[in-house]
Amino acid sequence: MKILKTVAQAREFTSFLFVVALFLIVGAINPDFLSLQNILLSLNGSVVFTMLAVGIAFVIITGEIDVSIGATLGLAATVSAVLIRDGSSWIAAVLAALAVGAAIGLANGIGVMILRIPSIIMTLGINGVVRGLCYVYTGGKWVENLPFDYKALSQATLTGEPGSVTWFYLFAAAIAIGIYLLQTRSRRGRYFAAVGDNEGGANLIGIPVVRTKMTAFLLCSLFAAAAGLMYVSRIGFVTPTAGNGYEMKAIAACVLGGVSLSGGIGSMIGAALGAVIMASIGRILVFMHFSSNYDNTITGILLITIVVGDALLQKRASERARRKRLSARIAAKPGGGA
Amino acid sequence: MAMAQKNASAAPMLSVRNIHKAFGSNEVLKGVDLDVHPGEAVALIGGNGAGKSTLVKIIMGIYQPDRGDVFIAGNKVSLNNPSAALAQGVYLVPQEPMLFPNMSVEENVILGFEEKTADLRKRLLDFTRQMKWEVDLSRKAISLSIAEQQLVEILRGLMRDSRILILDEPTSALTFDEVESLFRVIGDLKAKGISIIYITHRLTEVFTIAARVAIMRDGVITLNGPVGDFTRDDLVKGLLPPDAQENERGEKRPVPECGRGKPVFSLIGFTGYGFADIDLDVHRGEILGLAGVVGAGRTELATTIFGRDEVLRGKAILNGEDITGLSTPKVIEKGINYVPEDRFLNGIYKISDVAANTSSARLYLMGKVFLKRRDERELTNSYVKDFRIKITSQEQSVGSLSGGNQQKVVLARALSTNPKLVILDEPTRGIDAAARGDVYAIINRLKAEGVAILLISSDMEEIVELSDRAIAMYHGRINREFEKDRITQDNLMAAAFGAV
Repeated sequence: MKILKTVAQAREFTSFLFVVALFLIVGAINPDFLSLQNILLSLNGSVVFTMLAVGIAFVIITGEIDVSIGATLGLAATVSAVLIRDGSSWIAAVLAALAVGAAIGLANGIGVMILRIPSIIMTLGINGVVRGLCYVYTGGKWVENLPFDYKALSQATLTGEPGSVTWFYLFAAAIAIGIYLLQTRSRRGRYFAAVGDNEGGANLIGIPVVRTKMTAFLLCSLFAAAAGLMYVSRIGFVTPTAGNGYEMKAIAACVLGGVSLSGGIGSMIGAALGAVIMASIGRILVFMHFSSNYDNTITGILLITIVVGDALLQKRASERARRKRLSARIAAKPGGGA
Repeated sequence: MAMAQKNASAAPMLSVRNIHKAFGSNEVLKGVDLDVHPGEAVALIGGNGAGKSTLVKIIMGIYQPDRGDVFIAGNKVSLNNPSAALAQGVYLVPQEPMLFPNMSVEENVILGFEEKTADLRKRLLDFTRQMKWEVDLSRKAISLSIAEQQLVEILRGLMRDSRILILDEPTSALTFDEVESLFRVIGDLKAKGISIIYITHRLTEVFTIAARVAIMRDGVITLNGPVGDFTRDDLVKGLLPPDAQENERGEKRPVPECGRGKPVFSLIGFTGYGFADIDLDVHRGEILGLAGVVGAGRTELATTIFGRDEVLRGKAILNGEDITGLSTPKVIEKGINYVPEDRFLNGIYKISDVAANTSSARLYLMGKVFLKRRDERELTNSYVKDFRIKITSQEQSVGSLSGGNQQKVVLARALSTNPKLVILDEPTRGIDAAARGDVYAIINRLKAEGVAILLISSDMEEIVELSDRAIAMYHGRINREFEKDRITQDNLMAAAFGAV
C-alpha cells in the first residue's frame, strides 16, 4: 500500500498518466494508434530522444541548461559515420564519438563553472561552434553509403522479429532506470538535485558544487554523443544538419516528465517518459490527420505552457513562504492577544 | 554553575586572534579577538554593519581573513572553504535556513556524509529523540516552519559532531513557544560541551542563554565579559559610538514648530506582511525618523505604503484622502515618493545617463509620444546645480558616478515629481562624509519647502541629527515614540533593540 501511495505521489507518475491519456485520446480518434505494433513503434522511435533527454536531465536538475546537444549529436554522428564508412572498426567509431562528446562537455563545464559564463550563452556559443565543425569536417556533404550491418543494428529486436521492441530501446530504457536508481538512491547521485535545489546550501555542507555541475555537463554531452551513434544506425546517413533543433525536444521531454527548469526536481524516468511523448507527436499528428509540419510548433507550445504554469505555481509558493516568514517576525501584541 | 566555571578555566575551544578583513577599501574587521570555551555560549551583539556576519563567515571558511589566525582546540587552522570548517567541527546555522526545499528532512540532514545510510538514519533518530522532536523524516523541507527548518540545521550540526555551533539570529522568525523550545535545545547542547556563538538583536536573550557577551562595533569587539557583569544599560551603551554621550549633552534643542496641525500623511492601524498596527502622523515640513534594526519591518512598511505589497488591515491617508492599497504608479501620482534602501538593486538605471535617470519618474509629463529633450535637460540641469552633483556631462552613465552622487541623482528623481511625502530608506548608507553632508542639506531643503519626510535609518546618529520626531520599531511594531528633545542615540538604540 505504502509503495502504491509513494508511486502515485511521484511527479513521474503524472507524466506516466499523461502518456497513457494521450495514447487513449488519440486512440479514441483513430483506433489504429492503439495497436501493439504502433505503440512499439513509438517506443522504438523515441530512442534518440530518450538518450538526449536523460543526458540533459543531469544538467537541468543541477539548475543549468545545455542547448548544444543537438550539434553534439550531429558532430558525434558525423565523425563516427565517416569512420564506419571508411572501414574503421566499430569500436574506434564509438570511442571517437564519445571523445567528441567528452570534449564538448568539458568545454561547456569549464565555460560555465570556471569562466562563469551563463550556461544558456556558453552552450549556445558551443552549439554554433560544433555545428560549424560538422560542415567543416564534411565540406557540407552528406555522409552516405554506410555498411548495411551497422544500419541493421538499430533494427535488431528482442524476439528477432521486425516490429518487436528493439535492443536499442531496451538499452536506453535500462540506462534510464539504472541512472534513476543511482540518482535517487546513491549519495553522490543526490548531489545533482541538491546543487540544483540550493547551491549555496550545498556549498555550506561541503558538497562539491563545481565538480558536480561539471560532471553533469560531461554526462550530458556523452549521452548526446551516444544518441548520435544510434542516430547513424537508425537513419543510415548523416547530413550536416543532423540533430538540428533536437535540444528543444529534449528540454521539452524533461519538462513534460516533471523535471523543473529551476533545478532540484525531477528524475531520469520522467525525462524518458517525456521523450516518448516528444517522439510520438509527429506520429500522433499523422494519426489525427494533421500535417506533421506542426510538430515543432506543438513542441514549442507544450514547452512554454508547462514551464509558465510551473513558474507561476513556484512563484506563488515562494511568495507565500516569504509572507509567512515576515509575519512570524511580528512580536505578539503588547498585553497579550494575537 | 560549578561546571560552567570549570569549563571557563579550561583551554578555549575556539580562539580568533587579530582578524582583519576588508572588502575593497571598506575595512569591515579591524583586529577581532574572541574566545569561546567548551560548553559555553557567547552572545555576539552589534548594530547593522558592525561585522558580525563577516566574522562568522570567516570562522565558517566562507571568507578568508586578510590577517589574523583562527585556533580550534588549541591548534592553528586554515579554513579555506566550508568543508575545512566542517571537518574542524564548526557548524553555522544561518539566519535564513539553507535547506534543500525539495528534499526530505532525512536527506537534508544526511546528505554529504560518507557512512552507510542505515547507520546515519539511526544516529539521526537518536538525535531527534534527544531533542524531543517528533517529525516525519520523509516530509519535504519546503513544508516545514522556519523553527523546524532551524532544528534541521541544528541536527545537521549535531550529526557532524560539531564542537562549535554558530547560531545567527536564530529567533528572528520564531514564535515565543518556538523560542522556548529552541532555548531548551541550546541548553542540552551546552551540557554536552558544545561551544556556541549566539548572534542576536534581542538583549533579553543575552541574559537568558549566554554565559558571556561580546559587543561588536565598527569591526572591533568593544566589550567582552561575563553576562553577570553587565546590565542592559551597559549593553546599550556598548552598542553606541564613544562620542555619542558627548553629543547627547549638547545644547537643549528647541522643539520644532512644524509638526503641528493637520498631518500630511497618517497611518492608522496599518498592518501588512512584516509589520502590524502602525499608527503614525507626518506633518508638512517635518522629518519623522524611523529607527530599528534589520528585520524590524521598516522597509516592508515603506514598500507596502508604496503599493508594492498587500495591505492586510488599517488605512493610509494622504492629505485627507484614503490611499490604502493603491498601485505604485497611483501612489506616486498622489504625491508619495520612495527612495529605496538598495540603490543598486532598485534605485538607479546604471547604464542610462544622468538626464534619463533624473527624468524617469516624470516621463508622463514630458511629452505625449516623443520626449521633449529640452525639458529633460532643463530639469536635470537645475538639479545638478542645486544638489552639486559632480558629473562631466548629462550623458554620463549613472553607474560611473560615486555612491554619493548616485544617491543625489536618485533623490533628484524622487523630487522631480513634486511629492508631498518622501520616504527615504537608509539615504546615506555606503557614501562618504562629504556627500553625506550634501545629502543632509538636500533633505533639510526639502523640509524647508514643506515636504513631509519619513526617514528610515539604522544609523542612530543620522536620526538624531535630522529628525523632528522619531519612532523606533521592534519586531514589526512601534516600540517607542520620541519628541525632539527626547531623541538621543541612547533612547533610540534601547528602543530598537527592545531593551525598553
